Amino acid sequence: MKQKKTLLTVITIFVLFALVYLADQTLDPYKMRILNLCAIYVVLGLSMNLINGFTGLFSLGHAGFMAVGAYTTAILTMPDVVKGQNFFMAPMMKPLDTAHVPFFLALLISGILAGVVGYLIGAPALRLRGDYLAIATLGFAEIIRVVFTNMQSVTNGALGLKGIPVSANIWWTFGVALVTVLVIGSLINSSYGRAFKAIREDEIAAESMGINLFKHKVLAFTIGAFFAGIGGGLLGSLLGTIDPLMFRFFLTFNVLLIIILGGMGSITGTIISAFIITIGGELLRFLDESMTIGNLVIPGISGMRMVVFSALLMIVVLFFNRGIMGTKELSWDSFFNKFSKKPLAKGGNKQ
Amino acid sequence: MKLLKVENVSMIFGGLTAVKEFNLELNQGEIVALIGPNGAGKTTAFNVITGVYTPTIGHISYKGKEITGQRPDQITKLGIARTFQNIRLFKELSVLDNVLIANHLHLKSNFLEATFKLPRYRREEKEILEKSLNLLEKVGLQDAQGEKASSLPYGKQRRLEIARALATNPAILLLDEPAAGMNPKETDDLTEFIRQIRDEFQLSIFMIEHHMQVVMGISDRICVFDYGVTIAEGNPYEIQNNQKVIEAYLGVAEDYA
Repeated sequence: MKQKKTLLTVITIFVLFALVYLADQTLDPYKMRILNLCAIYVVLGLSMNLINGFTGLFSLGHAGFMAVGAYTTAILTMPDVVKGQNFFMAPMMKPLDTAHVPFFLALLISGILAGVVGYLIGAPALRLRGDYLAIATLGFAEIIRVVFTNMQSVTNGALGLKGIPVSANIWWTFGVALVTVLVIGSLINSSYGRAFKAIREDEIAAESMGINLFKHKVLAFTIGAFFAGIGGGLLGSLLGTIDPLMFRFFLTFNVLLIIILGGMGSITGTIISAFIITIGGELLRFLDESMTIGNLVIPGISGMRMVVFSALLMIVVLFFNRGIMGTKELSWDSFFNKFSKKPLAKGGNKQ
Repeated sequence: MKLLKVENVSMIFGGLTAVKEFNLELNQGEIVALIGPNGAGKTTAFNVITGVYTPTIGHISYKGKEITGQRPDQITKLGIARTFQNIRLFKELSVLDNVLIANHLHLKSNFLEATFKLPRYRREEKEILEKSLNLLEKVGLQDAQGEKASSLPYGKQRRLEIARALATNPAILLLDEPAAGMNPKETDDLTEFIRQIRDEFQLSIFMIEHHMQVVMGISDRICVFDYGVTIAEGNPYEIQNNQKVIEAYLGVAEDYA
């Protein structure tokens, strides 16, 4: 039975990549960009869900980690000539001005650096709980942004970086998304993942079951930051241009929406809602334009789409307040159980 | 052998002395009960032993080693496990997961080995699973392993909490009101169950309990608390006939003569 499910998973992954290939061949660049964004938001959503959903730490520092990742990837992949063109206010710091690594390595270093920053932020901030942690992490993310704005010779300050080589394509984004799903999924289903969930459920009980709260919180936070850094690196590489203003709280808020809509503590929920929110946001774009219904002409109000989007989200949160999936997962078991007439098997862990 | 030694421990919160000059010695295989009226400081004494609070004054040692001021997870790792008065299970997780989690503290694999399912982790995970299923069978919950912990009836939740505590491989088990809210039949079962696990896992048990039938039935010794002060200590017979204990529970008889 277990082998059968593994086979099904492998087949699904193949079908997925066949679809990606098909999309790559047939869709126009605008639609491809949206698909790329979907995959990047899967990475970002999962990394935030690990911290907020699975470990129950209310952290709002995601944009900061993404900034670290995006800038690292950009600096490590930009050609020297482009760097020279970008840094006209102040020359770029040595040896960064000639630093070069392949895209894959740049992403990995982005993740590691973001992880280090996550660790340094987490070590003091994770002594706080709940709302206090949210405020502290939000503050740290802003600090990162302000520091980047003022490091003229490293980040080019408020001018941002332009002409980042667009290495991220659909294979990179979906590939990284798949790896993230597999790695975080495997971590969550391990003994460490159970410890994270125990901390979410009841810190006092978890601690008296011998779980070192601080160590595990910092671990979840650091791994989350690692993947956020990779997601940020992909995003910068996809857009080709980044500046500090991109990494304001709004970006964190977007990712937070994804995990709340998808279900705090659900991997499949996060994947589904990353697609819904990214594609939905684009579909609602017509609301910003002027509309003609019969004889009535409604003038376009820019930002209308966000109003409608927020209203839709409010409905979701009011009526399905645990998100699409809650803490449940779509799995082959639940799939088979839905389609067979047999009652649900007891003891879901038997495989 | 003296497993646990609590010496002259006081716990003071601001102006309130919750526990005053508490002394306790717990020997291998003993069952000691802590009784006293509501608000007497019994649970505070538990929290001091398990590291939730650091005592204001006094020392606690375990197997001759000082443990005062250590964190709860460190103390659990040494071998002192506990249950809670107001059941604290991981409610949204399955019964099996609840027990599996309590094995995490002895895991040697790091998170990378666990994520990438390397051989050492796979071996440890298999051992953990076997041990947990075994424990669930011992407490009679083998049929409920896949159910959500919060969906269990009250008595079974209590048993699950004990199974979870046992999974940490303790030498001392602290039970905070294990019989609370149980009917007479369940109480009898519980008494038998506590004796059984004491023998099987070679535990020393220190418990808070209001249910006199349980306390008198299985305790080797009893401590009585009133307003944080130990007013009596002795075997069940001595406690039943202790004037101070009777006064603490029933009040002082007024002389109307």
